[in-house]
Amino acid sequence: MYRQKYLFLLPGLLVLVAIILFPLLFTIRVSFSSWDVYNPGLDWIGGENYGRLWEDARYWQALGRLTLLSVTTVLIQYVLGFALALMVWRDLAARRLFRVLFLIPMMTTPVVMSVLWRTIFHESLGPLNPILESLGIGAAPWLSSAGWAFAAVVIVEVWQWTPFMFLLLLAGLLSLPNEPYLAAKIDGAGPVRTFFSVTFPMLGAISVGAILIRLIEASKIMETVYVLTSGGPGTSTETSSYYIYIRGMRDFQIGYSAALSLTYLIIMIVALTVIAKLLVRALVKDAA
Amino acid sequence: MLKITDLELLVGGVAHLAAINASFQPGTLTTILGRTGAGKTTLMRAIAGLIAPDRGQILLDGTGWTRLPPWKRPVAMVTQQFINYPHLNVRDNVAFPLVRAGVAKADAAARAEAALARVGLAAMVDRRPSALSGGQQQRVAIARALVKKAPVLLLDEPFVNLDYNLREAFRKDLVDLLAVETGTVVLYASTDPREALQMGDQIVLLADGRIVQSGSPRDVFANPASLTAARVVNDPPINPIPFHQNGVADFGALGQQAITLPSGAYTLGLRASDIRAGGPHQARVTLTEVTGSETLTHLSLNGLDLVMQEKSVVLRSPGDVVGVHLDLHKGLVFGADGQRAGV
Repeated sequence: MYRQKYLFLLPGLLVLVAIILFPLLFTIRVSFSSWDVYNPGLDWIGGENYGRLWEDARYWQALGRLTLLSVTTVLIQYVLGFALALMVWRDLAARRLFRVLFLIPMMTTPVVMSVLWRTIFHESLGPLNPILESLGIGAAPWLSSAGWAFAAVVIVEVWQWTPFMFLLLLAGLLSLPNEPYLAAKIDGAGPVRTFFSVTFPMLGAISVGAILIRLIEASKIMETVYVLTSGGPGTSTETSSYYIYIRGMRDFQIGYSAALSLTYLIIMIVALTVIAKLLVRALVKDAA
Repeated sequence: MLKITDLELLVGGVAHLAAINASFQPGTLTTILGRTGAGKTTLMRAIAGLIAPDRGQILLDGTGWTRLPPWKRPVAMVTQQFINYPHLNVRDNVAFPLVRAGVAKADAAARAEAALARVGLAAMVDRRPSALSGGQQQRVAIARALVKKAPVLLLDEPFVNLDYNLREAFRKDLVDLLAVETGTVVLYASTDPREALQMGDQIVLLADGRIVQSGSPRDVFANPASLTAARVVNDPPINPIPFHQNGVADFGALGQQAITLPSGAYTLGLRASDIRAGGPHQARVTLTEVTGSETLTHLSLNGLDLVMQEKSVVLRSPGDVVGVHLDLHKGLVFGADGQRAGV
């Protein structure tokens, strides 16, 4: 009689199948086709797209670049977010101010924000280079040099998403009990030691959650690259999502871009699962 | 020796500690006795460095502590709350102060396990504090305080949040544990006079942030210097019976010492145990409290509110009339200024 309860799950299940499972199955089928601008349709070409992908150095370079970009930006966001959260943790007025202030970058549409930063980074008309020159640091070829363009993408990503880390870690800090801090003082731990022995381990679970959410989001980076550098100069800031977009939407190689997407999806699932397990083992004491 | 001189601490202009002068010898257990809000925890926290006094000095063997941050003070402390590190297992909790002090991890773990064995938690070293009962959590905190071997050990009502039976058992265990800490100044804060009288080598009475009396538990109990001290050191509280003396009279039979009182207003302090049932004075029962094997009967006698303590369970109802006898010759006389009179 209680089996009837599963009927209530059916509408949700159907929606899930419609919006997730069907597109996924369809993409798998498309990836085994030669669907492009000249031959649209679901013909069967076996694993040809996957063979081509294996030989596609540009794709693997984009994946490597994405890995570097994700890890770098998320690490910087975590360190900065943590530092900022610690700075305002015990100060109610600062906490209120920064909580509101830091929501602004997060609420800004990535495209709008990237356009603004593109103006800031503009080598002859933007305000950044004159400021750097006035400080004696010197102008930088922000968007025309491979290394500087990569740095520019990192800066924009860090600017936009550090507040997310800040808010999550601040919420974590505010939820910590006071008693261990009292014990740590009595037990001979100064502020630095208390951070590493009490605060950091007690925030392990929240840190893992925050890092993973950001890694998942960072691995999908697209708008910033599209507006800020268009993957350039050359392909020096091209990420996987952007490369798949070029192959699919610009070159209209739908079959091939489906194979790229599926491979990318599998790599991300495996990589993020491994990273999640490693992070939990390293940062969450309960997992020991 | 731990010495405190002229310690004063104001919060919002109100003195939470005032004119605290005391010295405590190594190897002695001093009970800081006072009612809730008397300043016991504030005094302990000031010694530990968790709050900064406005005036005065705290010295250990002549070295000033006042400017030292808490983590640099050689102090161990157990608080009313069961304070442990939730993210560490029991062994690591107890080893924490040793590791901070630079003891090698393996050595610290071994010493922590030995301390845990002393408090009866040898089988629970790998558990998290959250997996322990309240009493066990407090034992972990006690083990952590003991393992540090600090010259000053502060115990701030460590058993107040435990049930009666556990509190009695732990108190005895603690006395046994502290017996070997021969070089340590132990301060034990309590609101319970019976606990203070049982445990301490000396007793310091605290009221409204001031020390009102100190000495051996027996002396302080027998001869409270003031009505305030008598109220603090007696549980149930002493019965104050105001009276007026006209002309000089010798009250040699009153109390344990002969006293001569000039004319004036006085208060006779009569302990609850010095009022007995079965006497000529007809008192009306207002409340009966049975605590364990004792009965506290609240009485109204000629407009006076009195408490009678009996070492048996006697059930009376409010409104009952009971004949009582007051052992007035055991009473303590206090002058209008609250100080002991004629002593």
